[in-house]
Amino acid sequence: MVSAQSAEAQPASRRPPLPVKIVIAGGFGVGKTTTVASISEISPLTTEADMTTAGLGVDDASHVPGKQTTTVALDFGCITVDESLKLYLFGTPGQDRFGFMWDDLALGALGALVIVDSRRLDDCYPAVDYFERLELPFVVAVNRFDGAVAHDLPEIRWALAVDDAVPLITFDARDKLSVRDALLAVLDRALERARRTGQPRT
Amino acid sequence: MSHDLPEQPAPLSGALIRPFLDTVADHAGDGQGDQAGPACGWLRPFLLTSGRVARDGAIAIETQVVTTEQGRAAGRELSYERRDIVTLCCDPQSVAEIAAQLQLHLGVVRVLVGDLSGEGHLAVYLPNADAAEDVDTLLRVIRGLRAIG
Repeated sequence: MVSAQSAEAQPASRRPPLPVKIVIAGGFGVGKTTTVASISEISPLTTEADMTTAGLGVDDASHVPGKQTTTVALDFGCITVDESLKLYLFGTPGQDRFGFMWDDLALGALGALVIVDSRRLDDCYPAVDYFERLELPFVVAVNRFDGAVAHDLPEIRWALAVDDAVPLITFDARDKLSVRDALLAVLDRALERARRTGQPRT
Repeated sequence: MSHDLPEQPAPLSGALIRPFLDTVADHAGDGQGDQAGPACGWLRPFLLTSGRVARDGAIAIETQVVTTEQGRAAGRELSYERRDIVTLCCDPQSVAEIAAQLQLHLGVVRVLVGDLSGEGHLAVYLPNADAAEDVDTLLRVIRGLRAIG
């Protein structure tokens, strides 16, 4: 980003980029923060406290091997697309009780990536329900923990009962290119919708 | 821009601030305060905003904020969080980045940014609501992502 330290710089010359955003959703411990970290050009930022204190008794970390903490607010990263366009990735808290935050995040979003742990499919139901209801373009992405997926994709699609039009993919949250491709899948959906609704160029 | 506490808070605004307050109350009640994490947990958000909640739904989480010349000049006269925000935003920042960098609750940042903008210290660039369905914008994002190798 351009440094704006010089006192004579006019606000107009420092016009900030147009921000766009993609929501990264999913249950607790599915790899949302990892996903953001893999591709963000800044270390993911967090606004609030760790779940180990604030979420005690609500989030159950015992089913997730090695998972000690998560964030109760949101964490996010960004990608500078070009000098006048910046893509933000917002990882949403997966728990129902933070639903208050989702409307805020989803408003104006290009689309959403719903991350799924194939061992705990039901964790992503709230997110899938939410984006379906909102008619926000979304893609379901199964995180390949340790390179493996516990169920076949057709089984997962059946279990989630998502429309055939909703892409169901596998990806590796730790791998930058894999995350990039997952985001591109979301953008393809968003583009389909934009072309369908025929939003004229402004 | 005045944000007096509404008699009937908008659902979004009320919901934004309450879970955080509950969290703080829990810490105080069970003596777990030492583990409360960020220091902002100890300052109740309404103290920083004089009891007001954000009502201006237009300030989204990704909204870009830049300090104006006036804000730069006034920087040292402003107090605490307000000065921090004005200093930080000499480089354009999103509302989310301000909250994260200054360890302030998002709801607090919205109120303060609204105030500072009303006073002319900050310029707030409201996101283009149509960007999400604009084919050209989407194609630019796609091109940008494909360039990541």
